[in-house]
Amino acid sequence: MATLLQPEKVLYLVRGEKKIRVPLSQLYFCRYCSELRSLECVSHEVDSHFCPSCLENMPSAEAKLKKNRCANCFDCPCCMHTLSTRATNIPAPLPDDPTKTTMKKAYYLACGFCRWTSRDVGMADKSVASGGWQEPENPHTQRINKLIEYYQQLAQREKLERDRKKLARRRPFMPQAFSEKYGLGTRLQRQRSGAPISALYGLSLKEGEDQKEITIEPAQALDEVEPLPEDYYTRPVNLPEVTTLRQRLLQPDFQPAGASQLHPRHKHLLMKRSLRCRKCEHNLSKPEFNPTSIKFKIQLVAVSYIPEVRIMSIPNLRHMKESQVLLTLTNPVENITHVSLYTCEEEDPDDINSTAKVLVPSKELVLAGKDAAAEYDELAEPQGFQDDPDVVTFRKSNKIGFFIKVIPQREEGDVTVAFKLRHDFRNLAAPIRNTEEVEATSEAIWLTHHVELSLGPLAT
Amino acid sequence: MLPTLYLSDCKGSVKIAMGAVVCVESDIRGDVTIGARTVVHPKARIIAEAGPIVIGDGNLIEEQALIINSYPENMLPDAEDVEPKTMNIGINNVFEVGCVSQALKIGDNNVIESKAEVGRNVILTSGCIVGACCAVNTCEVIPENTVIYGSECLRRVQTERPQPQTLQLDFLMKILPNYHHLKKTVKASSTPARS
Repeated sequence: MATLLQPEKVLYLVRGEKKIRVPLSQLYFCRYCSELRSLECVSHEVDSHFCPSCLENMPSAEAKLKKNRCANCFDCPCCMHTLSTRATNIPAPLPDDPTKTTMKKAYYLACGFCRWTSRDVGMADKSVASGGWQEPENPHTQRINKLIEYYQQLAQREKLERDRKKLARRRPFMPQAFSEKYGLGTRLQRQRSGAPISALYGLSLKEGEDQKEITIEPAQALDEVEPLPEDYYTRPVNLPEVTTLRQRLLQPDFQPAGASQLHPRHKHLLMKRSLRCRKCEHNLSKPEFNPTSIKFKIQLVAVSYIPEVRIMSIPNLRHMKESQVLLTLTNPVENITHVSLYTCEEEDPDDINSTAKVLVPSKELVLAGKDAAAEYDELAEPQGFQDDPDVVTFRKSNKIGFFIKVIPQREEGDVTVAFKLRHDFRNLAAPIRNTEEVEATSEAIWLTHHVELSLGPLAT
Repeated sequence: MLPTLYLSDCKGSVKIAMGAVVCVESDIRGDVTIGARTVVHPKARIIAEAGPIVIGDGNLIEEQALIINSYPENMLPDAEDVEPKTMNIGINNVFEVGCVSQALKIGDNNVIESKAEVGRNVILTSGCIVGACCAVNTCEVIPENTVIYGSECLRRVQTERPQPQTLQLDFLMKILPNYHHLKKTVKASSTPARS
């Protein structure tokens, strides 16, 4: 029974740049365009950064400076779990009297999952609980920084020249290759305001200032390479000592081959993102700033606007035999919704996956509004809807169960059916044009969605 | 899969040394010797079916742990060439909640974490840690200081053995008698015959 509640069985079609079929729980609904949006047809923006273990918020500038890593928390280099600090008592000589020893606390890092400790790689115990741990320095940092500076300067100079040429000649056929050679694409640059190179472009006014000429030495190719040790092919491999690829690539600075050189790294920050509809530029999802809060300031998810179809029970499906499948429809809004279902036409371009014919009820189904207090009200009054007992099996507050008839067309494989769901939607986001009229209900528009159900294999 | 129990063969006495804390609610059957300073929690099961079990000092056997010396699965107890093999468990081991241990020889300072399973043909030396939910059913000797962890039972070697749980043992030996009845200590008159 639990498998029938899996949302992947019921897919809604999103008509965006690409046609995507996704369950309703993963979709967003733009109230202003009155259309379904999936994660691929919205633009993602970074809201805030936070550390997943200490839940500390970090402003974006600070995050960029620390390379998106938390200052306090470490990851185990062996299993990528969060490391915890443990304390032991070690006897240490008193500073005043070297002959006597007292117990001093020494701290080391340990992983609770794979039992890795910082003593395994030779890191000495620290006397401070936090802040004493240093990441090893990358030996190539200086050279990399110098190279980055040189190329930033080069990119800036080229852009200045290009701008000057543009103003001077105004040729319409500017080749695309000239646009920001060492920078980011223009579209990304527009959105990512924190990129370092765009900050430099703002300094184009300072042309007259002496800019330090940065020169770099070209990298030198070596003729001689260190020879392999003699027993390289004959020495047996000590498997526990060899690092896995994943452990190695998580530390791209060093990529140690031996497990005794795996040092812990600071934990990566996670980010909260907000989503924006690409057509009307309205926010679809905006989380709260506080990392401990899971609520949203703006949450335009599809499940709270579109009626949801769920499969309740599937009988044995046989080839070319008509069977009845029980579905439920849930109304998420507070007013009464009218839903009608239509079969897909013969040459429908959206209908590519269905392997069975479906007969949907022809009458319009009426769904009651969602009443938050209804679950506490035991003496629920009968809702007074006239239901055709052949079509509607049960009705419970804002949910109804109804039958559809399915005739599988193929002898083998999974049975998939598709139909169109048409319902009325009252747009409460539209501004009230005339304040004098006391119009309680706003205009209803009819939306049509393409729904696909996968009903599983045929009964043997 | 847990082995089936042949109850007719579970005879023999339980010898508990002085200083061990064995709760009455634990299920000990067969010829079992428990060393000093060992703590056996309630609902732990130590079943010596196909031979005696000798448990050393300072061990910690938590709830629902199962230490069983059973017949190998393809042999019936009535077969004639069955020799009772002794299961030896060393000192300072920890058997966490819900683990199943059938290993015939366990050394010192090992930790078998919760819901781990150790098969009959595995020999744990010293300082080994079998991680939570890891099933080790191979036929091998696990080298010292090995840690087996993760859903794929990855292994690595640590540089030092896990510390003996002396603090925990002291605490339990003080607290458990306040809430549970204990089995009476029976001094072992002679060392059991080792085959």
